[in-house]
Amino acid sequence: MNHDLTQSDSSTYEDPLSNYDPIDYESKLQLALAEESADVFGSQPFAQVKPTDTIRHAIQSLYESKESSLLVIDDEKLVGIFTERDVLEKVAERYPKLAEHSVSEVMTAKPTVIYETDPAAAALAAIAVAGHRHVPLIRLDNTPYSVASPRLVFEFIQTHYDA
Amino acid sequence: MLSFKEDLASTPVSALATREAIVVQPGTVVRAAIAQMRAHSLGCAVIVDYSQHPIGIFTEQSIIKLLARGVSLDNCPVQDFADPTFLSVNHADPIEHVWDAIQQDGVRFVCVIDDDGKLIGITGQRGVAEYVADCFATQVTVQRLGSTPWMQQREGA
Repeated sequence: MNHDLTQSDSSTYEDPLSNYDPIDYESKLQLALAEESADVFGSQPFAQVKPTDTIRHAIQSLYESKESSLLVIDDEKLVGIFTERDVLEKVAERYPKLAEHSVSEVMTAKPTVIYETDPAAAALAAIAVAGHRHVPLIRLDNTPYSVASPRLVFEFIQTHYDA
Repeated sequence: MLSFKEDLASTPVSALATREAIVVQPGTVVRAAIAQMRAHSLGCAVIVDYSQHPIGIFTEQSIIKLLARGVSLDNCPVQDFADPTFLSVNHADPIEHVWDAIQQDGVRFVCVIDDDGKLIGITGQRGVAEYVADCFATQVTVQRLGSTPWMQQREGA
């Protein structure tokens, strides 16, 4: 069937969005999760290493920073993440043999990330649904600005759950 | 309708997802504990006494500490590197207790015990996150996740 798009009858035109019902949230917390962007988590200092750093250096960084993850940064871009889980699964039992190897060999490459424009709920989804405990938060130019953790997401919820 | 804060204060810990705990004795050598943790993809092992009451917890944080200090995995008992954030809660306690422990003390794992003090399972940050996600399923389950902006994840034109 052909439609003649050159002929329009403005008298019968109906804006397709005229019947649009905005989403009716039951609470301000639902609204915040869906409508606020991950930028709301703000820039936070995060521990980082270079992909060429040794695993020994990365372990020492985890220990001294008391963080549970390190972002692996090359030329200001995120290339991976090295977490306590990587230590448990890939390093711990072979540490003497692996200590001088580079962290790039055992990091998680191309990790799940949350972009600053994603909804705040994406961070909760990454943690609760995908099962990642540390999720890099990324600017649109691919530079990281924080790491989403359960505590950070819960803190966000706490600031909204009284509303 | 309860606010979410009221929900956390009135819902028992038994509503949280728990995992079966890896149980070790205080004198268990750390290499053996780590092997079990890796095999079960679980970030902790619960240290119990002779009556199966939890008395400590050995975690991934403990592993970082002992590797950084150059401690041999073969000669060290788990009790020497127990995580100081150990917490047990009764299954009937409100989720709020776990929430507060996570936010105030950085607790990651929580032992859930029965009325006799015996270990039922493990919950913690993951269990609470899953509970929150269930409460806000409409907002959470529609999220796209990946390592690229979602516009680049789309197929076709």
